[in-house]
Amino acid sequence: MKLTTSSLVNPRLRGHVLALATLSAIAMIAGSADARSMGGTTTTTTTTTTTMGTATTTTAAIPVLDARSTTLVVQQVNKTMHDGVNVPFWVFCANGMGGGGGCQLPSPTLQLGVGQTANIVLNMMMAPQEAAPYQGHTIHNHGMDVSQAEDGVPETGAAVLGDTYTYKVDSRYVGSHMYHCHVHTVKHLEMGMYGALIIKDTDSAGNLLNVINHGGPTYDYEWNMVLSAVDPAYHANNAVGDSTVFSDYNPKYYLINGNEGLSKTAVAQAFTAATGKKVAIRLVGTSSVNATFSIKNASGGSQSFTVYNDDGFALPAPQTVSSVTVSPGSNYDLIVTLPTTSSTWYPQVTYTSVRNGIAYGTVYTSLAF
Amino acid sequence: MKTYICLLGLLLGSAMPAYAASYNLYIAAGTHTINGAGGTTINVWGYTDNLSAGPMVPGPELASTENGSVTVTVHNNDTRPHNFVVLGVTTDTGSIVAGGSKIYTFTTPNAGVYLYADTLNSNVNREMGLYGALVVRAAGGAKVVWTGGPKYDFERVWITSDMDKPRWNDIASKGGTVNTSVYKPNYFMMNGMGGFDAMRDTNTTLVGSVGQYGLARIVNAGLFDESLHFHGNHMQVVMENGKRQVPSEWTDTINVKAGQTMLILYQIKFAKNVFPMHVHTAQMETSGGVYLNGVATLIIGQ
Repeated sequence: MKLTTSSLVNPRLRGHVLALATLSAIAMIAGSADARSMGGTTTTTTTTTTTMGTATTTTAAIPVLDARSTTLVVQQVNKTMHDGVNVPFWVFCANGMGGGGGCQLPSPTLQLGVGQTANIVLNMMMAPQEAAPYQGHTIHNHGMDVSQAEDGVPETGAAVLGDTYTYKVDSRYVGSHMYHCHVHTVKHLEMGMYGALIIKDTDSAGNLLNVINHGGPTYDYEWNMVLSAVDPAYHANNAVGDSTVFSDYNPKYYLINGNEGLSKTAVAQAFTAATGKKVAIRLVGTSSVNATFSIKNASGGSQSFTVYNDDGFALPAPQTVSSVTVSPGSNYDLIVTLPTTSSTWYPQVTYTSVRNGIAYGTVYTSLAF
Repeated sequence: MKTYICLLGLLLGSAMPAYAASYNLYIAAGTHTINGAGGTTINVWGYTDNLSAGPMVPGPELASTENGSVTVTVHNNDTRPHNFVVLGVTTDTGSIVAGGSKIYTFTTPNAGVYLYADTLNSNVNREMGLYGALVVRAAGGAKVVWTGGPKYDFERVWITSDMDKPRWNDIASKGGTVNTSVYKPNYFMMNGMGGFDAMRDTNTTLVGSVGQYGLARIVNAGLFDESLHFHGNHMQVVMENGKRQVPSEWTDTINVKAGQTMLILYQIKFAKNVFPMHVHTAQMETSGGVYLNGVATLIIGQ
């Protein structure tokens, strides 16, 4: 946490926003180092220690970082889309992964247990960035309801040239959230500076539990799906600052976990689980268009699933549905129970216009069991 | 201009007085200005209760109470036909001819917030600025969302909207035909303002002491769905498009669909803290591409 009152703050807002709060009086959330810090250990499976099954995927799994002690850097990565167009992205990645080519879209998943203290460091060394007034980056822990000092919003004083984010959450937050850069968000979110932020329930010994929410059911596998869309015009080198390019949004590519998944034979991610098990699917809505999730079986029929959480908070009652729409900035957690006979299902997301719901495109994944 | 008539003791001596509100609205063409970087002056059509001030975007707030009676006399001072519909409340979608007027009388049985708008011309008239909010409060003046419903300490009305200046407003204001199949709004407003103004406007910002509940009565008068993200705390959705949400759902981002409404309760969590509340959809955060001069305001803990 580091607040600034200098020129790092958007000068158009500094006068009235900063006057509203006595920044020096803002209390920090207690931030002592957690004795169980894993030192930024990276795991690359999609399951955690207490799950029964180990999922396999055909695409590189998104790294899961322990938010108790993690240092993130920002790197540019380039992706070649299905039409051959090369699009640059900015992503957060674990310190040390950039040089080895380990950075990818989306940014790593951050994971934190209830009662644990997050200690997330943003290291701006060599980070690609814009010029003033939108230089630098922050981490906004979207949905954590942290204080202004930890919120990562430059217009209310957040440092943009490197910072540490420290916070704790209670058991209401067990579920899916997201983190993203909050500098010139219209540009930086689109550029890929987003990832899943998962809060796990803990037992009395501090072990992470595989329950969908506090007091909720267990699951056997978990599958994070970060949903995003791409307007390549926003990614152009000259799309910086206050530009009219940001007054319109024309998405051209649609992603789950950074992959296009244009058909059932070219999926964004192939997930394999055992029959009869329960798979938790976490939908993290970072796109700027609406996204409707559904599951189709091998015959094309809809499979129902049960939604437990909205924005990481338990619903008043779980809802069994055949689709759920994730609006920009929203998250949902659901569980689907697999049959006892083998088959392949196709979880998929159809991205739709915020004007009239007309479909732009569908991204397919597969779930074999 | 509104007048209230207190209709006392219609039934029993102990009965709560029912209020009747009467309004005159005038439809006029004119301009509307979004201030600050990226802002502009846009040709609009709007409702107003002050002829000398020109069209208001959004139109004047109409107020009533549960089981209240409202009379709105709408004078069409424009050169085109228009109408006045309170979505979910009134059903007369017939037009008011240019130069004509029409009287609408209706009751408001359910507390909440409602969108009133001109529904003619394939949404062009609404997009041009002909919209506003009807607020229906609990009877008796209690600060509850509805009688017997959840309490609040302070309230705001948020009307979000969008305008496509080159393709809709510039064309329609000159009598041209808008190609409604193409809509690429480049201005996004909170209570008719860009974010720079809406973050200072004391009728818009959520300001309260720790523990207090702010009620935001949200009307999406635009043609784009609004995905609004609140910093600093989760909130409870207590009403969605007129339907009470009991028990309510906790969330940090709500999707207020085009033409629909939502009521949320937000509890102030931090003293001396300032947070943004903003749309989470790329271009809708801007005016003409200028960041944060779109749909945004502030949440301020005192």
